[in-house]
Amino acid sequence: MRRCGGAVVLVSLHDVRFTYAFTEGPALDGVTLELEPGLLHGVVGMNASGKSTLCALIRGVVPHFHEGTLEGDVQVLGRDLSDWDPADLSQTIGCVFDNPFTQISGIKDTVFEEIAIGLENLGVPREAMIQRVKEVVERLGLQALIRKNPNELSGGQRQKVAFASIIAMDTDFIVIDEPTSQLDPEASEEIFGVIDQLRRHGKSVVLVEHKIDLLARYADSIVVMKEGRVVMHGPTRDVLTSDALLDANVPPPEVTALARDLADAGKELPFMPITRSEAYQAISRRMEGRPRGHHTA
Amino acid sequence: MSADQDRGGAAIRAEDFIDGFRRPATQGNRVRDMNPISVFLVLGSLAVIAVAVPGIVAPSTVCVVLVLISLAGGVGRPFIGNFSRLFVAIGLLLFVLRSAFAGGTPVLFTIGAITVSMEGVLEGLRFALVVMAISGTVTLYFALIPIKYSMLALELKGVTPRATYVLLAAFQAITDLGKNARVIMDAQKARGIETEGNFVQRVRAFVPVLAPVFLSAIAATEEKAIALDARAFNSRVNHSHLVTLRPTPAWEVVFVAIAILCAVVACAGAVVPWY
Repeated sequence: MRRCGGAVVLVSLHDVRFTYAFTEGPALDGVTLELEPGLLHGVVGMNASGKSTLCALIRGVVPHFHEGTLEGDVQVLGRDLSDWDPADLSQTIGCVFDNPFTQISGIKDTVFEEIAIGLENLGVPREAMIQRVKEVVERLGLQALIRKNPNELSGGQRQKVAFASIIAMDTDFIVIDEPTSQLDPEASEEIFGVIDQLRRHGKSVVLVEHKIDLLARYADSIVVMKEGRVVMHGPTRDVLTSDALLDANVPPPEVTALARDLADAGKELPFMPITRSEAYQAISRRMEGRPRGHHTA
Repeated sequence: MSADQDRGGAAIRAEDFIDGFRRPATQGNRVRDMNPISVFLVLGSLAVIAVAVPGIVAPSTVCVVLVLISLAGGVGRPFIGNFSRLFVAIGLLLFVLRSAFAGGTPVLFTIGAITVSMEGVLEGLRFALVVMAISGTVTLYFALIPIKYSMLALELKGVTPRATYVLLAAFQAITDLGKNARVIMDAQKARGIETEGNFVQRVRAFVPVLAPVFLSAIAATEEKAIALDARAFNSRVNHSHLVTLRPTPAWEVVFVAIAILCAVVACAGAVVPWY
């Protein structure tokens, strides 16, 4: 069992290769990765770089559900993936997928009931279920939707409801695949706010997301993927300011790109910002004419 | 009304809605609040009586009783509308066909090779009424009881959630397929393909839509299965229920017992013709 500073490693992959059935090339190719528990790990990469397959693998959807050839060593919470019972995995790892139109059960008449479906499956008593769903509804600002039929919601609303139903299950480890793909900037901020709260409460989160500016603010570490391989994994600042990100064709945060452009123009900022607040500090410091130095925040 | 009052009112309504889950589900009507299995047994008994008792009186009476039950259940208007359409579209056709080809005596009139007799008319009438009584019970059941309550009642009787999900999802799939078909038809229309006009034109536009509709449904089924698994659908613990049905009162048990007894007597009468 692999451990990380005394705690069991969240996910440990060693030279993992996965090829879906009836396809030629591998979706994951030689992936070696170790994720610590209690952190928010962002996963970025171009389309078809293997992000969703990585999520599916961590969650056990491959190879338990999607058939294919899996090679290498995969450990989830210290146990070999093949030793996990899929039913136990679903109770241990919450998972939100990217397509909101297939995330709704289709059998519930109201959003409130839809959010409770996971709790029903876990056998949670009614009163506890009601309290938990109420709390999640308030956290995600879904009060206006609770009476609505989930089958008649927009894509963005469905995405929030699907997210809420997984949050309600209160697992310690959550894998989230593009939770904001159908959401406007304001709703995306709300979702990230909730994810941040989860992280603060000690939950482990693996999050695939294209909105790199939001990852810059919230993620503890970032995994960069390209053509089924992990090209870089490390603390958010190190990854977002590195050339590996650009090599993987992933655009850096807007402010980081701006700082790079300024540097290229000979107007280097005191430090490379990755968030707007850092950019504000960096630009203010430069405008004040302070001597250049390393960012210590 | 101020915005604060408006928000306060909405919060109270939301709280009322949530509080509703703490009480047994109700449709606000004594007939519709009966246990779905009780309703099924009563309506099933009526259908059995219509089939088992010879003659046209029993199926006619059952059809009338169905209308009365629908009125008592507060679904009279939609049920009578649907039932009338069934009578006109199917009942009449069955009656005419059966009467025309049943043969028998005395002969009432002859048109070419078709000879219509009194026996044929009575047999046709009975056949049509029995079919109407059976289809009426099915129609009324679905008018009275939402399918989710039927499945909940079955789950509470020990049917697996997997089985009830398949049934519920099958009903939902009918709606979803219709929606998807409309979306694809609209997309076709936007591309300039003629989707309206006479019957032949509409059929010609609709047939090519079927393949993508069913293929997308099959693809979505797999993703839905994974999404359900993510909600611990396959967990081995006993599932709990947010919505609950009210306990079955004694009068309902007695009522169902009487209905079943009547059906048993009708069946016994069919085997041993003592009336």
